[in-house]
Amino acid sequence: MYQQIAMYATVFFVFLLALAFAFVYGESKRSADYGPIQKKGYKIRKFYFLGLIAIMGFASVMTLGRLPYDRHQAEATGLNEIKTVEVTGIQYAWEMSEDQFQVGDQVQFKVTADDVTHGFGLYNEKMELVAQTQAMPEYTNTVYYTFEEPGTYQILCLEYCSTGHHVMVKEIVVEPEGGSL
Amino acid sequence: MNESIHPLAKKTIVWYLAAASLVLILMMVFGVIMLMNQGNMISITPQWFYKIMTAHGTGMVGISALGGTAILWYFLSRYVKLNPAILILNFALFFIGVAMVLIAIFVFHFSDGWTFLYPLPSQSAKLYGAAGALFFLSGMLILGIGFLILYMYLAARLTKVYGGLGKALGWDIIFRGKEGNGPPAAVVATAMVIITNSTALLAGATVLVASLLNIINPAITMDPMLAKHLTYAFGHIFANCTIYMAVIAVYEVLSEYTRRPWKSNKIFLIAWNCSTLFTLMIYTHHLLMDFAVPKWMLIIGQVFSYANGLPVMVVTAYGALMIVYRSRMKWDFASSLFFLSMFGWVAGAIPAIIDATIVVNHVMHNTKWVPGHFHTYMGMGLIAMIIGFMYYFNKTEGNQKHTSIDTFSIALYFSFFAGLVGSFLYAGGIGAPRRWAEHLPQWVLSDQVGAVSGIFIVLAAIIFTARFFAGLRSVRSKVHYNKKSAAS
Repeated sequence: MYQQIAMYATVFFVFLLALAFAFVYGESKRSADYGPIQKKGYKIRKFYFLGLIAIMGFASVMTLGRLPYDRHQAEATGLNEIKTVEVTGIQYAWEMSEDQFQVGDQVQFKVTADDVTHGFGLYNEKMELVAQTQAMPEYTNTVYYTFEEPGTYQILCLEYCSTGHHVMVKEIVVEPEGGSL
Repeated sequence: MNESIHPLAKKTIVWYLAAASLVLILMMVFGVIMLMNQGNMISITPQWFYKIMTAHGTGMVGISALGGTAILWYFLSRYVKLNPAILILNFALFFIGVAMVLIAIFVFHFSDGWTFLYPLPSQSAKLYGAAGALFFLSGMLILGIGFLILYMYLAARLTKVYGGLGKALGWDIIFRGKEGNGPPAAVVATAMVIITNSTALLAGATVLVASLLNIINPAITMDPMLAKHLTYAFGHIFANCTIYMAVIAVYEVLSEYTRRPWKSNKIFLIAWNCSTLFTLMIYTHHLLMDFAVPKWMLIIGQVFSYANGLPVMVVTAYGALMIVYRSRMKWDFASSLFFLSMFGWVAGAIPAIIDATIVVNHVMHNTKWVPGHFHTYMGMGLIAMIIGFMYYFNKTEGNQKHTSIDTFSIALYFSFFAGLVGSFLYAGGIGAPRRWAEHLPQWVLSDQVGAVSGIFIVLAAIIFTARFFAGLRSVRSKVHYNKKSAAS
């Protein structure tokens, strides 16, 4: 969902920007005194500035309450027990304490690394990136995810970790609730 | 404007621009090779892919800094007398640093990326030998020392002429109610870059020295999280400052072409002070997926990354639109590129700001969305400024004229750059990771679109560079003519 919002928002705002530049380019062939242009321009700028502040404020309010750092995201979705899975990145593989899940499983991935920094990127069967965190030596980052669809998920390394970076992939299977795929 | 640039500095600037433009083409070719490999159009080994990737990243940031410095020095020389020896020293250290980096990559197979994230270099040293990592890290250190000396010198000069960096940033107008305008934009921007980039270089030097010591003696270790903070405090700020140096040309040249003043009024000064502060603070948006970092620090990363867009959107880009509006400005190579560069900068800031939103970053960090946004503001913003300056330099110091081939090359460059960054952003949107030597079938089409776009961008860059070198002949003949006139 956030990927689509990001793409549409970028296209929309870049289009508006291009319109503004095209308009000014068109008007650049005409001539007028700069004083009145500045006066009017500064007035418009106040509203433009406030508009940007409003957009940024709205985006902050809408998103800062949904941070992926907290466990409340998983807890809020149901009463099921949270599974804890230990994940360790090592050039060029993922070691996991468990790699079979069921739909509805709320999983707490505790992610670290043994050698260098890796990136734990969880992709669903459609290869959409659904969650990630960094896997750093000496640190444990905890990321929560609730499996809502069955299928073969993949963990891809998302932090460059040397020449085998692109082969650092692990498949995990999510079975339908109460049965196998 | 009561100073003039030293003739030796002018010659050195030619060297800066010549090196930047030639290396730019080579790095662009490297970029195309990577995209062609990801798009299954050619096949290179992963080892070669990552070596090329390391060279591409390091080289592009290097020439951006080189081009930005040339612009800063050229325009600052109009207001402050500068000793060209410092500019030459920086170039010499840059050259030595680059040679060491190239030896590391192509002789000793170093391929840990330009961000050399600790402890990756020491891990690679254990596997492939220490020489590559030692050459690379030492080369970067020498390069950084060159820039640090340059900024220390500029700080001393601004202190002498303007009474300190605070005054150069207009603090007496902002905080003490002094009437009138602040120092010229070139001075304000230089003060900002001195403060931010010196901090960045000290952070970078710390992590480089620690990494070197760790390779020489593995018993000496560093906290990897601290190392990451220092690495991005260096990399983010240093890369950002290249554009803050280059934008000086936009202020100077658009003002000259439109015959309208671009004064550093109070709002302008506040904007640049905000940029100074925010640029120092927002590198934490590179650590949004490091959940072990205190949450407040990551929220700062989001909120102030948003805020950092405001000075450019509300003051600089808006100011460029205002100064060009109904100005009957002459559209030539320089004015077109400077105008378009403001579009490129803001267009790149939009997806960058979106990516700094933590919930978005959670599903887009380290996908191709990231090179998508920074290629927009670096390629269509910063590089456009540097190329625009190359033409402006030849026109001002020589007699280069705008021709139809220039109009063609600008159209070629911007059209296909839109294709390139569009392919990156789309690939990021569908989850394609960045820095992967090989791609899954669903990502390949976007790579192919990027590769084809890249080929035409290289063509445009070759035309720009050929025109620059051809135009230099008129610079030499003008200097020669002036010397003869002076002698007679």
